[in-house]
Amino acid sequence: MNDTMINEGSTATALRDNAGVAEALGRSYSAGFITEIEMTGLPPGLDEDTIRALSAIKHEPEWMTEWRLGAYRHWLTMPKPDWAKLNIDPIDYQAISYYAAPKAKPKSLDEVDPALLETYEKLGVPLHERAALAGVAVDAVFDSVSVGTTFRKQLADAGVLFCSMSEAIREYPELVQKYLGSVVPTGDNFFAALNSAVFSDGSFVFIPKGVRCPMELSTYFRINAQNTGQFERTLIVAEEGAHVSYLEGCTAPKRDENQLHAAVVELVALEGAQIKYSTVQNWYPGDENGVGGIYNFVTKRGDCRGDDSKISWTQVETGSAITWKYPSVVLRGDRSVGEFYSVALTHHFQQADTGTKMIHLGKHTKSKIVSKGISAGRSSNSYRGLVKMEKGAEGARNYTQCDSLLIGKKCGAHTFPYMEVKNPTAIVEHEATTSKISDEQMFYCRSRGIGEEDAVSMIVDGFCKQVFRELPMEFAVEAKKLLEVSLEGAVG
Amino acid sequence: MNQPAPLPLAESLLDAPLPAGGPAWLDAARREHRAAFAASGLPDTRIEAWKYTALRGLAQRRFADGDAAAATREVDAAAFALPGVDGPRLVFVNGAFRADLSALDALPAGVSLQPLSQALRGDAEPLRFALSRAALVGHGREAGDAFAQINAARAVDGVVLRVAAHTRSAAPVQLVFVGTAADAETAWHVRNVIELGEGAELDLIEQHAGLGEQAQLATLVSDIELRDNACLRHVVLQDAAAGANLIRRSGLRLHARAQATLHVLELGGALVRHDLRAELVGDGAQFHTRGVFMPHGRQHIDTQLAIRHQALDTTSSSHWRGVAGDRARGVFRGAIVVAPGADGSDANLSNKNLLLSSGAEIDTKPELEIYADEVKAAHGATVGQLDERSLFYLRSRGIPLGEARALLTAAFCRAMLDDLPNAALREHLSGLLISQLPA
Repeated sequence: MNDTMINEGSTATALRDNAGVAEALGRSYSAGFITEIEMTGLPPGLDEDTIRALSAIKHEPEWMTEWRLGAYRHWLTMPKPDWAKLNIDPIDYQAISYYAAPKAKPKSLDEVDPALLETYEKLGVPLHERAALAGVAVDAVFDSVSVGTTFRKQLADAGVLFCSMSEAIREYPELVQKYLGSVVPTGDNFFAALNSAVFSDGSFVFIPKGVRCPMELSTYFRINAQNTGQFERTLIVAEEGAHVSYLEGCTAPKRDENQLHAAVVELVALEGAQIKYSTVQNWYPGDENGVGGIYNFVTKRGDCRGDDSKISWTQVETGSAITWKYPSVVLRGDRSVGEFYSVALTHHFQQADTGTKMIHLGKHTKSKIVSKGISAGRSSNSYRGLVKMEKGAEGARNYTQCDSLLIGKKCGAHTFPYMEVKNPTAIVEHEATTSKISDEQMFYCRSRGIGEEDAVSMIVDGFCKQVFRELPMEFAVEAKKLLEVSLEGAVG
Repeated sequence: MNQPAPLPLAESLLDAPLPAGGPAWLDAARREHRAAFAASGLPDTRIEAWKYTALRGLAQRRFADGDAAAATREVDAAAFALPGVDGPRLVFVNGAFRADLSALDALPAGVSLQPLSQALRGDAEPLRFALSRAALVGHGREAGDAFAQINAARAVDGVVLRVAAHTRSAAPVQLVFVGTAADAETAWHVRNVIELGEGAELDLIEQHAGLGEQAQLATLVSDIELRDNACLRHVVLQDAAAGANLIRRSGLRLHARAQATLHVLELGGALVRHDLRAELVGDGAQFHTRGVFMPHGRQHIDTQLAIRHQALDTTSSSHWRGVAGDRARGVFRGAIVVAPGADGSDANLSNKNLLLSSGAEIDTKPELEIYADEVKAAHGATVGQLDERSLFYLRSRGIPLGEARALLTAAFCRAMLDDLPNAALREHLSGLLISQLPA
């Protein structure tokens, strides 16, 4: 992704391996911190001591440790949720290591799963990126380090804070204390509580009043936080009138040994602020027999706290064995706007139960939901969404459109929209359809010499267009390619 | 799970002695169903199917088991006469059959209609299959089926209606369930077993009526089986007493090319719940529902429609409208399942709602669960207000705002009755709808 930018990095630094990359980027950290990453890893298991140890390793202040412990104590009292339309093998929370030392990496690309390499080839991922994605300890120069540094300076000039969560806790404790957990409280749900107790790292973004972030921010460039994917914590705050667009994830599949991913993302938009959050999620989906794969159980919520604010979620979900998440917006400020655009594709034995919640509290708030589900193979794909118009949501408006596309006879496509309306001036509209790729569409394409797979990917692309339009350009291009790759073998 | 103390309602439903003296299999089934109810308890809002219907208030009440004086309660038969409906009639007062109010003398050939209490005194064996389980569709064994279980344990009366194969009943059959004030707050239970033989055809009017503020709890479970090519036209008029808590469950099973059309009006009652489930088990079966729910005051009306397409080329269409005023709450769930292999299914559901006041609430949840790919399935739901432009149009022609609103609201609901073939009945029901509208 963004090849040109990477190559522009003029001060390329030769680095020995990925740990070195992390070190180079993390120079502002205390040296001891880095060393400890390499030396320590907590044994599997979870109790209060684990959390204290984790907090100590990260040199966190007392309040943070207590915050984590509070979340942990609450988590212990919570039942595991089982309401989703998902078959989840039981998770042994005591078998997870909540702070992992850097894992043994394959020494070269030769040791990486050829299927993964083939996918990179099809997606056109540049060679050095392939290695990084596959987690290979590379000797090659990795340009994005310098790129990352260049970006940091530009951002700092604009007054934008963009750093890892660990760094933010140490450098900007008053901001973190003010906003962390204010959108997703520690006891919000089972996985959010777990995340609050044990989150390892994540991103922190703060856009001060009136600032328009000079570039699209992405976790991709901030590779210093390696091995933090499992319990990631992201907090984005846009002050009055600020604008930011944030890209999460990467279009190429990531090699990852972690089974459970329970991230929390919190967005806060003050008066007139706009946050656009785009995700392309392509974690390992398991093989064609449904063995392995990531459980992606994420709590994402935005709070339109100020009047005239706007939060927009766009997601393209093609990976993970199980995707279970509902990026939501609380429309608190008057005239605030929430949007949710989603493409969720499941193949083989993948399962997805995803959608959104739009909670309208303020007057004349507006929300729009466009969800496109594609199921193939033996997969199960559910849209589940809630639109709630509270008493004060005078003149509020929602429009929801959910379409499902079935490819094959053994998959399932489901729609569970909830509409709760308590204000007589609010308007809620929901429409959903389920269909398959029609024989007429296929015949039309085939009769014009378009091969079967190309025809399917063309039709699927058209089906998803409304969502892809919302993605930043280079993401959209890759998302399209990604669908093609993910659908391989779905027809014929 | 920890066992909380049983709630007064559950206790009062469990404590009274079970009806006895039936066939041994029935007494055994009653005990089993009571045990199932005791084990599951009342459903709470954590159970998905009861998410929007809290029984908190009801659960604190105690109800006497049945009304011993039901046979002699004064009821005005004229109150439930319907224009365009003049055929065999079966009337129940507080759950007990009333021969004096019923009309059974003009039964068409091939139609067998009798109260359950009578049927059980004769040869009960044909009912064994039906009464051994709590409900035809879903068997009443899911979480939240507690009322079907207690009904199976306690119901001593109801309707047994069979239409022989290839019989076409000319006159509609009218079933009337009246709730009226008793000596104490009473719970009564009715179990209906209805079967249309191959190619049979029937018009059925189901009426829930009553007067008075006295709290009652009524559970009604109806099994309706349509054999191949059978055709049922079913009108449900629920205009129960203001104090009535009415928990109904209707299960339809449609065999090959069978057709059922339901028109449902939910107007009365305090807390009203209707589980309407249909299984399309035969190829080419068709199921159509049109419904209006119109809660006002502090009424709570909950309709749970679930349609399961299990065979080839099955069709369902469901159009429901809700109007909620005052501090009332309307709840609608319309779930469509297309089972694996049910290719050629065509399912369509819409639920449109008007919210008339700031104290009212509408919760709607259309669902699609699709496991086959050769299908057409769509649903839509809206909650909102009357169209501003239509209002403007009427007002610009000199119709005052209040009247214009009433006209449009009435038209919004009446549309659901448009395809009801019985014109006299249609007009009467439209009138009822309009009279329910807030001034």
